[in-house]
Amino acid sequence: MGIVEVKNLSYTYPNASKPAIEDICLSINPGEFVLLTGPSGCGKTTFCRSLNGLIPKFYNGTLTGSVHIAGLDVSEHSTMELAQHIGLIFQNPDNQIFALTVEKDIAFGLENLGISKAEMHREIDWASETTGIDSLRLRATHELSGGQKQRLTIASVLAMHPSIIVMDEPTSFLDPVGAEHIFNVLDLLNKEYGMTIIIIEHRIDIAAKYVNRIIVFDEGRVRSDGKPGLILAQEDTRLLGVGIPRILELAMRFDDHDRRFSDLPLTSTQFYDQITACLRKKEFTSKKSLLPPDMLDLVGEHHHSPLIQARNIVFDYPGNVHALRDVDLTINHGDYVAIMGENGAGKTTLVKHFNGLLRPKEGEILLDGEDISKQSVAQLARRVGLVFQNPDDQLFEESVEKEIAFALRNFGMNEESIEKRVTWALNLLDLNRYRERSPFILSGGERKRVALASVLAWDPDILVLDEPTIGQDYGQKERLRHFLTQLRTQGKTVVIVTHDVEFVAESQPHIVLMAGGNVVAEGSTKSIMNQTELLAQCSVAQPEITRLFNDLESYGLPKDVVDVDEAYQLLKRKIEEAE
Amino acid sequence: MSLLESLRFTRGDTAIHNLDPRVKFMMTLVFFSISVMFLHIVPLAFVFLIQIPLVLKAKVFSEWSKSIKGAAFISGFIFVTNMVSFYYFRDGNLTWDLVEYTLSLTMRFIVLVTSFSVFFITTSPDKLSLALEKAKVPYEFNFAFITAIRFVPVLADEAQTIMDAQRSRGLELDTGNFLKRIRNYIPILLPLIINSIRRSLELAEAMESRAFGATEDRTNLYELRLTGTDKLVLIVITAFFATALYSRLYLPAFPSLLGFGPVF
Repeated sequence: MGIVEVKNLSYTYPNASKPAIEDICLSINPGEFVLLTGPSGCGKTTFCRSLNGLIPKFYNGTLTGSVHIAGLDVSEHSTMELAQHIGLIFQNPDNQIFALTVEKDIAFGLENLGISKAEMHREIDWASETTGIDSLRLRATHELSGGQKQRLTIASVLAMHPSIIVMDEPTSFLDPVGAEHIFNVLDLLNKEYGMTIIIIEHRIDIAAKYVNRIIVFDEGRVRSDGKPGLILAQEDTRLLGVGIPRILELAMRFDDHDRRFSDLPLTSTQFYDQITACLRKKEFTSKKSLLPPDMLDLVGEHHHSPLIQARNIVFDYPGNVHALRDVDLTINHGDYVAIMGENGAGKTTLVKHFNGLLRPKEGEILLDGEDISKQSVAQLARRVGLVFQNPDDQLFEESVEKEIAFALRNFGMNEESIEKRVTWALNLLDLNRYRERSPFILSGGERKRVALASVLAWDPDILVLDEPTIGQDYGQKERLRHFLTQLRTQGKTVVIVTHDVEFVAESQPHIVLMAGGNVVAEGSTKSIMNQTELLAQCSVAQPEITRLFNDLESYGLPKDVVDVDEAYQLLKRKIEEAE
Repeated sequence: MSLLESLRFTRGDTAIHNLDPRVKFMMTLVFFSISVMFLHIVPLAFVFLIQIPLVLKAKVFSEWSKSIKGAAFISGFIFVTNMVSFYYFRDGNLTWDLVEYTLSLTMRFIVLVTSFSVFFITTSPDKLSLALEKAKVPYEFNFAFITAIRFVPVLADEAQTIMDAQRSRGLELDTGNFLKRIRNYIPILLPLIINSIRRSLELAEAMESRAFGATEDRTNLYELRLTGTDKLVLIVITAFFATALYSRLYLPAFPSLLGFGPVF
């Protein structure tokens, strides 16, 4: 019998017309590392909350079927009793840290259980060492970085020695290196201590490397269930809008992939090991790789006129945190720029200077050649539209329509043009059917679109998006990518702040790399993604495809390949030559 | 606001920081009651002066001076209103003892601010909560207290982000008349409130998942135990209080320093 046994589980939220999950039958064995995925709203989060009884006890609603955890019937035991068997970790670390210091927070669960002080100290030692935060034990919890907070939440659950850990999108707020760190911790727990791990994650590229089982949910039901390679290679999975790791996608492009890849690859190393059998060592060097990577940019620069110029910007937050040290940056008319770098590198601080929310301590910002220091935020906002990461930090009106009209009224437009622009923005983002609805009852992805529409409505020249892909499933990201392309063809300047390397690899913006309050490099996606050391310094992960081509250099292939199409063409030609 | 802000706990590892919170609170209470017992500049100045070494010992001079600066306006207000009202109350006779009297009133306020600011600046909320626990305050209240403190920085960040997001949508906070200005804050308050409600639900879920309320005999990672220093301090402040009480009840009142003549 499995450590998690779910039989015919269905659940309907109170006042909901149809069930959130329906007729789920699953058995998970001890020591499995399971990834739950599926489009937003597919019921995976609901499923996780039913494992420790939060559903239905906390949410009410109607539940049928049964859940057994470590042999215990969940309906007969309280959530707090189950806490010692199954640890749930939620998406936002800030909302599950209760104490003011790290060690006190790790102790929280143990204190609740009435564990003795000596034993508590032993557990804290173990949990903090395993998660790599033992040097932070006495630190105040609000001083931790996002990645440290997430590791603290794992430690806090770990201290109670559960045999199962369930995590709901643990890496949403983290940079790629931070995310990798979390997966390393989970991997250690799984391999070393045999813990069963169940995670929900949209970042399949990272997750697929670690898990040994994937369960795909759709519309409240389990659609497929099995080994990662197999599940992700299925046509069904792709159609549901689950993001397929690029390396796997590349392998699938080969018509004879069954023959060529005995084991479907999920990482660049696995791909490399299998493809090199079909390749011959350096015979010729592709002319393409001889081209200096920055050429295109150099040529391009003369055609555009500068739109935003940041000149030697220095900015400090109160308490003397050097957020920006000496930033020099030019963004041209019609550019598509991605600002990347580790958490806390100053990316958001920099874009807040573009519309005057923050004013530089030294240096100046020019917009179309004019110094902006005398203009108010409201004046600047008309030209520079800034869309924040979390739509919940701005939505407040009773209907989507009013939400979009809010800014237009602030700018003093007349009712007639407001009406016109609202309709235009609603249509542009496919929100017309929600016109009269409250923004609060929409799903996360839809709310994000409303926030975007509320800025686009006044048609700013420059659109700045802070982390637009966070918490978005693959389908939503694809739609966003097409939308940004559409905006660019209309001559808009688009700036995104992002950690999402795969999104960048596909849309190929001009990249600005930041670290420690400085711009450390800028250039085309291809040229930047090839600088392994520089990327590591900025906590940006290299796209798997680029990693593969870096390894394949000795076979005479160019290094600077970022997208699947190009990779496929190059490899196909190379294989044909070898045969 | 700056007065409240300056009362925030500052981490440190000094004898004052490490004093048992109950003893430290007793000390604060002693200073408080002495300043209430006497209304004369000499004992008040004395109580004020003996706190200076404590401030220095705790290495919180700059924090403490901030709280005094924060209190300066109210002190000035106390001095002026008392002066003016007594002046009229006493038919326009401005005497030196009146000046001395209002000075004492002001001094009393400064002594109070000092004693409480030293307590709050040097006592971590965790220790405070332990002291509350010892005083048999139910754990739920204690938890609420800690949570409130825990989320102050989180809420402050969030409020800032919301303000930035709405200003980026053209909201101008400082325009219009008084009523309009208040209405300007609605787009900031509403998301803040809604986010807080959402957060409280998430918190409750996380608490349940971490066995909150599983047993009546909740243990605590930290414990309070009186050390030798604590006991010594306790004896000293008790003796000090007793002396003060004795002098208030049985010794003659302090004479006026400035005399009773008119000021001009």
